[in-house]
Order: sequence, then C-alpha cells, then structure tokens
Amino acid sequence: MGDPNQPAEPKGRKRQKVSQAAKGVLYGMAAHGHVTAALRTRMYLEHLFMFITLGDMLGVPVIPPYYSLKILPYAVPNIKSWKQRVFRERDFTDQVF
Amino acid sequence: MAGLLETPFLWVVATIALYAVAYWGYGKWVDRNVWRSDAKKATPAHMYMDGVEYFPVSRYVLWGYQFKSVAALGPILGPFIGIAYGWIPALLWIIGGNFFIGWLQDYGSMMLSVRKEGRSFGPITYEFTGAKGRNNLLAFVLFYLIIISATFIALIAQFWNAFGGTTFVPTIGVLLSGLLCGQLLYKLKMNVMAVTVIGIGLVIVSIYLGMLIPVTMPWGAAWNTVYWAAICAVILYVAAILPVPTFIQPTNYLAFYPAYTAIMLLLLGALLSPFTGVPVAEPAFVGVWNNTIGPIWPILFVAIACGAISGWHSLVSSSSSSKQLDIETDALPVGGGAMLSEGLLALASLAAYSVVAGLSPTGASVTAWVGGAQALVSPLVGGKSANAVLATFFGLVLIIYALTVQALVTRFFRLVAGETWGEGRFHILGNKHVATFFGLGVSWVFAISGSWWALWLYFGGANQLLAGLAIMLIAIYLAKTRSPTRNYVIPGVFMVVTTLAALIWETWTFVNAAIQYVVYNNAAALAQQTRPPVSGVTLAALAIDAVFVGVGVALFLVGLSMAIRLFRTYGRSKAEGRVPAPAAADGGELENKSH
Repeated sequence: MGDPNQPAEPKGRKRQKVSQAAKGVLYGMAAHGHVTAALRTRMYLEHLFMFITLGDMLGVPVIPPYYSLKILPYAVPNIKSWKQRVFRERDFTDQVF
Repeated sequence: MAGLLETPFLWVVATIALYAVAYWGYGKWVDRNVWRSDAKKATPAHMYMDGVEYFPVSRYVLWGYQFKSVAALGPILGPFIGIAYGWIPALLWIIGGNFFIGWLQDYGSMMLSVRKEGRSFGPITYEFTGAKGRNNLLAFVLFYLIIISATFIALIAQFWNAFGGTTFVPTIGVLLSGLLCGQLLYKLKMNVMAVTVIGIGLVIVSIYLGMLIPVTMPWGAAWNTVYWAAICAVILYVAAILPVPTFIQPTNYLAFYPAYTAIMLLLLGALLSPFTGVPVAEPAFVGVWNNTIGPIWPILFVAIACGAISGWHSLVSSSSSSKQLDIETDALPVGGGAMLSEGLLALASLAAYSVVAGLSPTGASVTAWVGGAQALVSPLVGGKSANAVLATFFGLVLIIYALTVQALVTRFFRLVAGETWGEGRFHILGNKHVATFFGLGVSWVFAISGSWWALWLYFGGANQLLAGLAIMLIAIYLAKTRSPTRNYVIPGVFMVVTTLAALIWETWTFVNAAIQYVVYNNAAALAQQTRPPVSGVTLAALAIDAVFVGVGVALFLVGLSMAIRLFRTYGRSKAEGRVPAPAAADGGELENKSH
C-alpha cells in the first residue's frame, strides 16, 4: 500500500520508467562492455600522449621542452585525471574484462 | 495438452518463485542486517570518478552488463552432467546452491570491493593474507585458466564436429561480421543501430549458408576433433592478441543477439510446455552413484557450477562492476539479481535436457541441449519443419557462448602470464605471443587427450574452489568489521570441503586408471579417462593420464594452501573482533550517555 498523502504516479510516467529500464538493460547487455573497452583504449592512448608531452614531470624528457610548452595548454586539463589513473594500484585481477 | 506434472512447467515456475524469495526475502535481509548497505555512502564510482574505469552507471545498465559477463557455457552444460543422478538432484542444487551460496557470493564480492575502494581480489587478498597469499592466488588462477581453456576448446571442437557440420560457417560468419562491425563503428564512424542491423543480417545469412554449405572433416570423429580443436586454438590466438575493440568486443556484441534470443525461446518453450505437450523424458532420480562420474557428493556440486555458484563471478563482480556502482544499495539487484537470473539459464537448460531421453555423460549426447531446445521450441515456431534451422541456430549458440568467453579467458591468461613471468629468468614466457601460444598449446594438448567430462569436473572443481575462497575472503572482511559472518562462513566451508573432495576424487579416477593398467593390465579405465586417438595408444594414454594426475594434485595443493591461509586469517580476524574496543579517553562516558 502506498502512502495515501503521496499523489499517485501518473501512468505515462510509470511506462516511461519501465521503458527506460528495459533500454538500460539492453544497452548494458549488448553495448556497455563495448563502450568501456573503447574508453579504456582511449585512456591508454591518452596516457601515452601525456607521457610524451609531460615526460619531464616524471624525469623522462621525451620531446624537447619547446614543444612540451607549446602543447602544455592542451594537456593541462588532463593532468589531474592522468595522475589519478597512472598512480592507481593495478593488479592482474583488474583485467578480467 | 499434456498434464502439468508430466512437463517441466511446474518446477520451472516453482524455481522462479523460490528465486523471488531468495531476492526479496533472504537477499533484502542480508543486505539490511549483514552488510547494512547505505545509499548515502559514497561509492568508488563517485569517489574516484575518471570517466573511464570509475563512473556511476544506472543499476539497469549494470545489471545487464553483469548478467552478460557471468552467463556463459557453464549453466548450459553443467546440468547435462548433473542430470546423470536424475533431474531432481540437479534441480535441487540449482535452487539451493543459488539460494544459499551463489547470489551471496556475487553480491558479497561486489560489496567487498565497493567497501575496499573498488579494489579487485588480488590487492584484497594481499591485504588480508600477505604477499604469499596473493602469489598463491596467482598460481591457482593460472591452473584454473588452463583447465577452463582445455575444457572449452574440447567442447567447441566437439560441437563443430556435430550437427552435420552446419555450425562452422555460421561461427566464422559471426566472427567476421563482428570484425566488420568493429571497423564500421570505429573507422567509418557509422551509426550503432545501422551497424547492428547489418551485423544481425549477416549472422542470419551465415546461418542460412551454414545449412547450405556444411563443413565436415573426413578423418573420423577422433581425428576430426583434433583438427577442429587446432582451428579453435588459432581463432583464440588471434582474438587474444588483437586489441579488444578490434575483435573481442564487436564479436561479443554481435553474439549477444542470437545467444539471448535462444535463452528467451528456451524459457518460453519450458513455460508453455503444458500447451505444446512436451513431456519430461529423463528419470526424476537415478541414484546417488554413477559408474562413470562417481558419487553424487561431491561431483554434482562441481558439475553444475555457474547457475548455482561460480568463482569466475567473484572476479567479474570485483574487477569492473564494483567500480561503476552508483549507490551501495544497487549491489543487491546488480550482483545478486544477475546471479539469480543466471540460475534461470541453468533452469532453462535443465528443462531442455529433461525432455531428451537416454542421456549419458560419457556418450556423444553432449550436444543433447540442442535436441532438447528443438523439442521445446519447435512447436512454437512451425513444428518439425523448423528443426533443421533450430539445430543450426542452437548449435551456433552453444559455440558462441563458449567461444566468446574463451576469447576473454585466453586474453586474461596472457595478462596473468605477463604478471607471473614478466620479469626474471623465464621472462620470455611473459611475452604476449609466447604466453598466448603456450597457454593455448597446453590447453589444446589437454583438450584432445582428456575425456571432456573429466576436464569439466576439474574445471568445476577449480571454479567452485575459487568461489569458496572468495566467500572466505568476504567472511574475513565481515569478521574484521564485526559484522555477522555465519551466512558466509557456513557456505564457504561447505564449498571449500566439497571442491577439495571433488578434486581428490577426480585425481583418484586418473590414478586408478593407471593402477588398473599397470597392475591388472586392464586398459578400459585408461580409455575412459582419455579420448581417442590418444586412448588408442596405451602408452600415450598412460603418459597423459599421469599429466592429469599432476594437474589434479597441483590444483588440490594450491587450493588447500590458499584455503588454510584464509581460514587462519578468518580465525585471527574473528578473535580480534572478540576483543573489546579500546576505551575512549573519557572512559566511555560520552558513548554511554548516547545509548
């Protein structure tokens, strides 16, 4: 029994919720793994880009500082998440999927 | 209309009802009283959001992802061996195993990882049992992956060899269509819907072509399987070394559509069986002993793995899903709900086997699932005239369930090998090509020489043991946080004892085969444990039998050592939990007042 003081949920809204849930399940089954795999591939490429660009930060000068400085404005927004991902503890059990 | 009691209808409905009780009754109780999940607590998906690995996902999406990641060949083929004791014992384990253990493990693994900042089982094992414990886990996982690979390669080869050779072209069709879809999506940036329609269209065409152009080999069942297994290993090699978005992911995506259509059709067929008049043909109870596979305990409990409980799920739950859980309370529908749904897949498969008469775990009837599916579904889609299409379709489904998971397993083996041998004297084994070749080579040798059901029982034993170990890991966490542990420790002890007993039994069957030959000059047992053509050359059979003894002993010892480590840690954690918490600086006055 629902709360009598609460207004009943309109039928259309309920149907919308069910349809959203069904879409979510289908997406999760069919495509979510696909999307996360693509994101992970992009992440590895970004790591490489950041490493080449900002290798000096880690004491590994990959390209001359002149070019590093030119690319710096594009790389700065990614520094925080790059550090977060690179410094994260990783294990073989993280790579099941 | 057949009588309700003569068809699978009643017990299918009863199992669905019991699973509902497991979720809404026991599940909610554990969630509230053991884990005390809190929707307001920040999950790792929010704490460490990076938009790649850690990001919150709706519970519906995550449920779909989790279900797809855990559902594979296990719940389909397990009941085939289990039904050797009758369909009632198999059904009881599918109900009881999932009700008291299976969902609890998947959900607990996810919660444990969430409470440990999204870390997977490797680092958690390290934290609880030290470096030796983690190395132990690594060794166990390596053996486990080789055994899974051997089992799945053997089965795929057998499936290609069956069904009049109609399934090979559709399999290649799915793989090539997957590759094409990947290129269309990533290189040509085509719309996902359009790519999906093209992909599904190509799969349908390849099923039709498979029926038109059956591919068979001329060397007899024994040698044919050897070559089919080699072809399978080559495909897996390519899958494991190519980037995931190029091969594995698009293929898995495309394989999803036929695979899940098949489950829906099968469940529908079982539920409508009173109207279609498909009766149960297998006996309800045969006995507690089977001459080929042994005693009901522990064999039944490792034969039906996924669908009742599976260790693989604990790795999945703690490696990716836990990092994307939006709120803690979603763990029950995602982890527990997906596992209970997988139980339905095992149930549908059991229904399919139950309508086929005269099954034998050692015979060629390993493809009986397709026969059962035909019997249940053909009355819904045009009667017997649809049988040829259904045989090819369900045969293809069997293969893609095995192949898609095996591609992931092979890739995972390569990564684990890199972790194990990447540095040091054997670093060459860590190279991605060498590791993949080595893993598939060993698995291929096992696949073509060991009888498939013996391999399956080793796989089940290792898989269920991993589940037992995962449950103990969860129990340690609960003991450390002074939460109730009984609901986990009892199933954990049961699983560890049962699976170690199963590994001893399976190893003994190989030892016994060697004794029978060496002492009594009786090669029959040896022939039963191995498969042709190896079983035809007695010395080769003896040698491979000895290798399997070694594998069994190694699995048992590594598993036992891990279990002892976990039980000791659990004991220590429980003892620490009994010690009263240190008194506060004010002597606990403030705390006493607040009560």
